[in-house]
Amino acid sequence: MAGGAQRRKRGRKALAAIVFAVLGRGLVACVRLDERVRADVRGWPEGTVVTLRIAPTGPQVSWRSADGALRYLGGRDVASDLLVTFKSVDGALPVLLGIKPVLRSFAEHRAVVRGDLTLAMSLVRCLHIVEGYLFPDLMTRRILPHPATRRASHATAYVFCLFRTASLDGGTA
Amino acid sequence: MIPDYYEFCNSAKVVSGKGAIENLGFELAALGASRPLVLTNAQLLELKIATIVIDALADTDAEVVAVYDDVPVDSSVAVVNDVARVFSEKGADAIVAVGGGSVLDTAKGAAIVLTHGGDLMDHRGAESLMGRRAVAFIAVPTTAGTGSEVTSAAVIKDTERHVKMGFTALSLLPDVAVLDGRMTVKLPPRLTASTAMDALTHAVESFSCVQANPLSDCYARAAIGLVREHLPEVLDHPKAHAPRLALANAALLAGVAFSNAMVGIVHAMGHAAGGVAGVPHGDAMAILLPHGMVFNLPVAGDRYGELLLDLAGAEVYASTPADERAAAAIDAVRAMTRMLHERAGLPLTLCEAGVLPEQVPDIARAALDDGALSMNPRQPTYEELVEILKAAL
Ligand SMILES: [Fe+2]
Repeated sequence: MAGGAQRRKRGRKALAAIVFAVLGRGLVACVRLDERVRADVRGWPEGTVVTLRIAPTGPQVSWRSADGALRYLGGRDVASDLLVTFKSVDGALPVLLGIKPVLRSFAEHRAVVRGDLTLAMSLVRCLHIVEGYLFPDLMTRRILPHPATRRASHATAYVFCLFRTASLDGGTA
Repeated sequence: MIPDYYEFCNSAKVVSGKGAIENLGFELAALGASRPLVLTNAQLLELKIATIVIDALADTDAEVVAVYDDVPVDSSVAVVNDVARVFSEKGADAIVAVGGGSVLDTAKGAAIVLTHGGDLMDHRGAESLMGRRAVAFIAVPTTAGTGSEVTSAAVIKDTERHVKMGFTALSLLPDVAVLDGRMTVKLPPRLTASTAMDALTHAVESFSCVQANPLSDCYARAAIGLVREHLPEVLDHPKAHAPRLALANAALLAGVAFSNAMVGIVHAMGHAAGGVAGVPHGDAMAILLPHGMVFNLPVAGDRYGELLLDLAGAEVYASTPADERAAAAIDAVRAMTRMLHERAGLPLTLCEAGVLPEQVPDIARAALDDGALSMNPRQPTYEELVEILKAAL
């Protein structure tokens, strides 16, 4: 049924938008929590805007680098320096839900990249670390290239994601 | 083994063999073009290699509107923009690129500028360029190594902004790839060996990378077999056209394989060693390939075992127990690089290639940032990269 298929697709997009929101805050939190992410983000040119998007019309999530930290820009339209576009929501969800490794999705051409590919490698390293905080070891064993090591507990990471976003958004540290 | 999902594209027409160059006029006409710009470098004109192409075109309906011979060793954005300018000014409708990797990459860059306009920098990325190419594009490789005549990738340097820009897009694939023994017959042994090891590495890496698929596997295996069989022959008889053509085919086959299945850790380290210490690409491949294979052995052993057939031949494959084939495949690669060391002076270690021990950390860090690493079947840590590079010193 066409209507049912449309509804399911809308549902998948809504789910992707939720994951993007968590991931968006998660990455910002990880810059604070984890020196490995901090080191990578410090290497990004000041003001770099990075976006993950699902074609053709979103949802999407963006960050902007500022003073060695990241600012969460949410799902609004921005001019991106690095734009990673998943070709479809169906190609994106397994990655976003921690079922498929990020690198495998690139290998399978599920996403295209516009911008500096070195920056894309740095983003992937950061996402791997964020996944280590967001997902349990049972999942990360299958999707990460190395066993996840954390500088703080899952719980701390979630607290940072959920309750300290405002101050992190301000880029105070 | 069939992956859950894969993509494969090789849309370039291949014209290979005796008199292939003389068919350029027909191929241009078939593409609806008649005003080619010939892109090459001064050395190839001097050696009368590019001249073969220009002379052949003079004998056709096509009119060569410009010969652009100012392509430097590393393709740069300034040259790309200049080629695009000349192309437009002269009213050209096709690029015939005659040269090695840098000439072909420059042609790809110019095609991007001519099709999409603006700053080349804005078009960097992987598969992000949409739409058809605006100009016809024929590639005539003069080395048997990069496979650039059938790959959808290009690397172009921005010498002012000090960045290396990477591009992959199907619209970068040439319309036609022309292989002719005359184009590579003057390559000196050292360069022949180095470029052949680049081709071999494309084949071995693509066969063991995460995106290997049944189609790319065929190309990779055929490429390896041709290198094994014909590289010694080329060193014995450098002026003979037939083995040269076989090596050119090997490079093309390996190019198709890696354009689709990608390369891995050996290329990541090789790009880094090139950037940090100026090690020529083929030399880096020859030095690092066995070391990369040793690192990948725990996860790619079965695949390497399969490759023993192509790397060493049926007799060796059949007489080697299944559980020893992967190690034997690495030995076969080592034997080949040793042979090239003795016969063509190819370096066997990074030290011989001019790398200083204190450069290892920088090379390891640059390798971590290299896109090729992401397709390797086993992801190394920084420390592991340092260990591999030290072993290759
Ligand atoms: Fe290569």
